Amino acid sequence: MQAAPPPNVFESVATTGQEEFTLDTAAELAAEEGATQIQGKSPWVLAGRRLRRNYVALAFLGVFLLVVVCCLLAPVYVSQVSHIPQNDVRTGAVVVVSGKKVNVISQGGTKIVNGQPVIKFGGVPIGSQWGAAGGKYILGADELGRDVATRLLYGGRNSLFIGITSAAICTILSVVLALVSAYFGGIVDWIISRFFDLIWAFPVVLLGIALGTALSVNGFHHGPINISSGSLWIPIGVISFVFIPYIGRPLRGQVLALRNREFIEAATAQGAGPVRIMFSELLPNVASSVLVLFTLIVANSILTEVGLSFLGAGVQLPNPSWGTMIQEGSRLLSTAPQISLFPGIAIALTVLSLNVFGDGLRDALDPRAKIRIEHG
Amino acid sequence: MRSKRGTSVAIAAVVAAGLALVVSACGGGSSGGSNNTTSAPAGKTFPTLKVVWGTTDYLDPGLSYRLASWQLFQDVYLGLVVKAHVSCQTDNCAKIEPGLATTTGKVTDGGKDFEFTLRKGIKYSNGEPVKASDFKATIIRDFKLNSPGIGFFSNIVGVDACEANPTKCSDISGIVTDDTAGTVEIKLKTPESDFLYILSIPFTAVVPASTPQKDTENPPPAANGPYYITSYNPSKSFTIKRNPNWKKNEIPAVPNGNPDTIQGTMTDDQSQSAQLVASGQYMYNQNLLPVDRLSFYKQKYPDQIKFFTTPSTYYFFMNTRLAPFDNLKARQAVNYAIDRQQLVNLRGGLGVPTWNFLPPSYPQYKKITPTPYPYDLQKAKQLVQQSGTAGQKVTVYTISDVAVDLSTGEYLQSQLNKIGWKASLKPIAGANYFTIVGNQSTKAQIGFTDWFEDFPYPSDWFNVLLNGERITKVHNNNYGNVDVKSANKEMNRLASLPPDQALSASTNAAWAKVDRTLIVDHAAVAPYLNGILTSFFSSKMNPDCDVFTDNQDDLAQFCLK
Repeated sequence: MQAAPPPNVFESVATTGQEEFTLDTAAELAAEEGATQIQGKSPWVLAGRRLRRNYVALAFLGVFLLVVVCCLLAPVYVSQVSHIPQNDVRTGAVVVVSGKKVNVISQGGTKIVNGQPVIKFGGVPIGSQWGAAGGKYILGADELGRDVATRLLYGGRNSLFIGITSAAICTILSVVLALVSAYFGGIVDWIISRFFDLIWAFPVVLLGIALGTALSVNGFHHGPINISSGSLWIPIGVISFVFIPYIGRPLRGQVLALRNREFIEAATAQGAGPVRIMFSELLPNVASSVLVLFTLIVANSILTEVGLSFLGAGVQLPNPSWGTMIQEGSRLLSTAPQISLFPGIAIALTVLSLNVFGDGLRDALDPRAKIRIEHG
Repeated sequence: MRSKRGTSVAIAAVVAAGLALVVSACGGGSSGGSNNTTSAPAGKTFPTLKVVWGTTDYLDPGLSYRLASWQLFQDVYLGLVVKAHVSCQTDNCAKIEPGLATTTGKVTDGGKDFEFTLRKGIKYSNGEPVKASDFKATIIRDFKLNSPGIGFFSNIVGVDACEANPTKCSDISGIVTDDTAGTVEIKLKTPESDFLYILSIPFTAVVPASTPQKDTENPPPAANGPYYITSYNPSKSFTIKRNPNWKKNEIPAVPNGNPDTIQGTMTDDQSQSAQLVASGQYMYNQNLLPVDRLSFYKQKYPDQIKFFTTPSTYYFFMNTRLAPFDNLKARQAVNYAIDRQQLVNLRGGLGVPTWNFLPPSYPQYKKITPTPYPYDLQKAKQLVQQSGTAGQKVTVYTISDVAVDLSTGEYLQSQLNKIGWKASLKPIAGANYFTIVGNQSTKAQIGFTDWFEDFPYPSDWFNVLLNGERITKVHNNNYGNVDVKSANKEMNRLASLPPDQALSASTNAAWAKVDRTLIVDHAAVAPYLNGILTSFFSSKMNPDCDVFTDNQDDLAQFCLK
């Protein structure tokens, strides 16, 4: 028996805020791929098949996974390779490089001779050693003698953790709000839509800085929630919040279009309640969009985290993140560019890989969709 | 005063300063017609001086307690007396000279009564005449502003009501003025050896009585010096122009100034500031050069950079009212845990490690020997254990936008973690930092601070910074709330000696003992270096004109090649 496509999944037309959003029908896909090839295949299987054919997207997925795995292995790197913890300040340390003892930070000082200062300049960290120092300082040291490679990996853990977690929280909140808003309509829809508009009215970075700075002073302490100012949950909360309308608004549009379709009426006639309709009927029909939006929002969340941390409103020093590392390294760009350079490369690789994979995923799930995350 | 510049300096001429104190305060005073004029030759004037400046807290002389502001004030806001505008490298820069007053004052009643007569015809930049009553109004305004300088006035007769309720201050009976005669009489409760110096700092710089009794910044209060501030955009820019009402050479000790206009751009980014001057867009960099590029700049611009020692001490305050630093062993642990040589190195080498609170340029300085707290992490750990405070949370405060201060804070936080506390870092923007940590409600536990002398006498260090009787709720300078009763008593005694005893050998030894007591017996603070400052000029400027007074370059005397 030929599997009937789930009703309306690829047929809905919704408004995504500023541009029209169109999904394919299964029939159109069949026409593109040949009816016999899709016979008996679910849309997910078909999407998987298309994704597997997109080697560029898969390659960048591989790059992203490689970055994630490297960052997850940071403790192993410290225990087996560098032996320098992420926040360990070693200003006076000496390291053996190719058999010679070298100061991690060049040593200087001042002597007063006849009332005049005689200065020996110091304070410049060693550069990348690439293994000449027995695994230590492979990517060099920062101004406090900390191992850049170690901080790069731990910084990546923080940046990725914040990016992925905030994207997940943002997606969950957005989906719930979009479903509730579109399903109930009326005053509920008006309130939630205005809430989306309110956040949308502020540029993401500006709102993020405002919230991040305010919360990083004393943390968040309301009712049972106590988050200290240096906690990673502060940037996670901020980033989750500022991106809500960027997922919520397009999803609300899609759900609105599905709200009055026959399969919803059928479910209602069978006695299904609002919660069941929203999460068992409507949600599966927008799942592909949610998935694509999630991958794109992860990249944006990582970028936002980096930006906020660079400006001091995200991850708090001395904890590393790619953003704080670039910020710290920016004042030593001339003499120790490695401090900023490697986190910059890591960010570029991660965001590029997520975006390319996200585009591939979108093409696979819905070759004609126009989902984009755009923000000011 | 505090600085964000990074490092400080030692001055060679401070020894002579004390002598000036005695000479000046012993009555008579030098005449206003002193031949020690610093007026610039007319041929050195030029239209515009463009400078890069560090951000500051306020640009109101009643409120600011920062080097960046005071450097501008020296040619804008004058007091009854002024510090000599001469180089500490070549002259006695600690000398007090007549400012708005005709002499350095007549001192009577055993050092308890100071009387001054104003010069005639001096006008503010807004055209108002400078009146004797403006001095009293200025001091009252300081109280109403809750100025960080009001502690300097506690010895004036009749100030008690103002101290009890600063914002309601309406009169100080110990200041008697006569606008007709142009006289100002200040009566003190006890003799005060440093009072003449106090009259030379910006908190006592006279502003019109009509000045609003609130933070007045754009434009700042009317000036009585050769320049006035025409505009100020906090943390961004300022413009200073010649005071149209300044008569050439009307105060011999104050230079008429070379630039007609001074345009300042404010930033704390040391790399950016240096680059702006190196590229020739600006002519002087007030910020410290970036520490990692000192060698590069010195090599590339050898004749455009100067290094100066200043009387300053960089130290960590520890709040003795809060755990764990209410415990002596905890404070000692901090002192053992910091490697002073490494803290100097964080500043690119611009500094000399110290264990004393008082800088070595003072005649009262006596190096504490043997070194009281050699770097010893194990001992620090033991002390933390013995104090019973291991595992406690500690927040380290530091300045976020000055690279070396941030690194210093990170260093301290790391060391505190190593010795058994759970330390976190609280970076705060430099423009607000000292105001925030000086507010008791912040409950700052430990953090970075520095001190550049206001005037060259130890009372400016111990009484201002470590005297428990001068702790205030806001604008507190004693961040650690250090309150050692015996030391307070001794500081008060020494500060109230008659001027002729202020620099005696026994007095100097007594100050040195206070230093030792506070550092060795009480570990009241953790001093770590006396610093060096840099002055960087563009190729258009002639660095030979530079006059570096105790803490700063005198912009008015800059000249072109």
